[in-house]
Amino acid sequence: MSSDDLFAAEEQVIAAAQQLLDDGRFADRVDGALYEELLKDYQKLFRATRRLMKLGDRNERQLNALGQEQRRANEIITKKNKELDSLSTKLSKYLSPQIYHSIFTGAQNVEITSSRKKLTIFFSDVVNFTETTDKLESEDLTNLLNRYLTEMTNIALEHGATIDKYIGDAIMVFFGDPESHGVKEDARACVRMAIAMLRRLRELQAEWLELGAEQPFHLRIGINTGYCTVGNFGSDDRMDYTIIGSAVNLTARLQANSEIDGILLGHETFSLAKDEVAAEEQTPIKIKGFAEPVRCYRVLGLYDDLAKEGTVIREEADGFKVLLDLRKHDRAEAVAALEAIVARLKG
Amino acid sequence: MRDKLDIEGTSRTPAIAFDFAGNHLKITGESYPEDVTEFYGLVFGALDAYLSKLGKGTCRFDFELIYLNSSSAKAVMMLMDKLDAAAKKGAAVDIYWYYDKEDDTMQELGGEFGEDLENAKFHLEKMPD
Repeated sequence: MSSDDLFAAEEQVIAAAQQLLDDGRFADRVDGALYEELLKDYQKLFRATRRLMKLGDRNERQLNALGQEQRRANEIITKKNKELDSLSTKLSKYLSPQIYHSIFTGAQNVEITSSRKKLTIFFSDVVNFTETTDKLESEDLTNLLNRYLTEMTNIALEHGATIDKYIGDAIMVFFGDPESHGVKEDARACVRMAIAMLRRLRELQAEWLELGAEQPFHLRIGINTGYCTVGNFGSDDRMDYTIIGSAVNLTARLQANSEIDGILLGHETFSLAKDEVAAEEQTPIKIKGFAEPVRCYRVLGLYDDLAKEGTVIREEADGFKVLLDLRKHDRAEAVAALEAIVARLKG
Repeated sequence: MRDKLDIEGTSRTPAIAFDFAGNHLKITGESYPEDVTEFYGLVFGALDAYLSKLGKGTCRFDFELIYLNSSSAKAVMMLMDKLDAAAKKGAAVDIYWYYDKEDDTMQELGGEFGEDLENAKFHLEKMPD
């Protein structure tokens, strides 16, 4: 049916009305003129109706075409988004999650820029890695190293660390950028992370021995807090998000001077974490580039853990603090000291 | 009476450039306003005031519409009726309907609008490239 057929009835009405006029069927001229005027208006209205219908149909066609175009565009966008998702997931493996997140949410620009921040830096290195792994086949070494790095990375991420880089078997992470919970909490989180890593390492050492590794990995860890320059370094085409500064170098030196499976803290980290972390001051170490010997502290453990083991008694309230390290003091000596305090209180 | 009526075009409404002093009136763009009566009410009011003073004068009206919805088409027909009525009273009214050379519907629609005019002179033209 054509669009003309849709209006066949109206066409017939117009033709019949015109016929009436042509036949001179109106005796009264005024009536005839009025009828003619009415017919003219009806014809005009009829034309307008057809016109509007035609326009409506054309607009609907255009709308449908646009709709189809949009559906095609949406399909392409969905496909491209999937590709982008897959690509970004692959790329994310090369970045610390915080860095990845801050770049992908637009919080951080990918450009050569840096800022000064007080960070807590962590370095760990496997002791005698080359000698330890010399006897291993390449596949075994790869598995061992990847397992070790995966376990350590998981712990680092659980504690909110920003993973700077892996240098072979060495790990460098920091706290305080791009997210910070305050310098003090950043320092404490870093020490807690290092302790958790050593604990996990002991479990892994047992596993590796079971699997036949003759000399499981042992670590040295250094932690230090200080101002660093943090940001993107490199060229516009290839850049690294990293930190630089003397505080970074000092951390590497602390790590090198740490005892095996031990953690050596710089003075500022110790000051920030000492309420939570038991540590023993070591002989200051001479470090190239630093005029004075550097104060450093060997981590003994978290007070909470030591209290559970019974090696430390710790009670703390507002204006009241008791910390008793039973490895340093004889029990009787401690009891005597406390009794003296009680006597003074009663006195 | 005002000398001009200028309304900037938007994505939904056409630009209105009525130069009453120069007797050149123009409507350009796309027309599917959210409220047709509000938009064209202002245009009708200004046109009525102008035509009431036109007498035997001359007037040119250009339509350069790319897209219009049904309500706007009705408003266009009303504009043409007003212009045709002014021509009936003795004004020399020229109506130009410009259409996109690739848009047959707008060409056809313009032709049909022209057929309704009894007094105004109608010109059907391609839009310049």
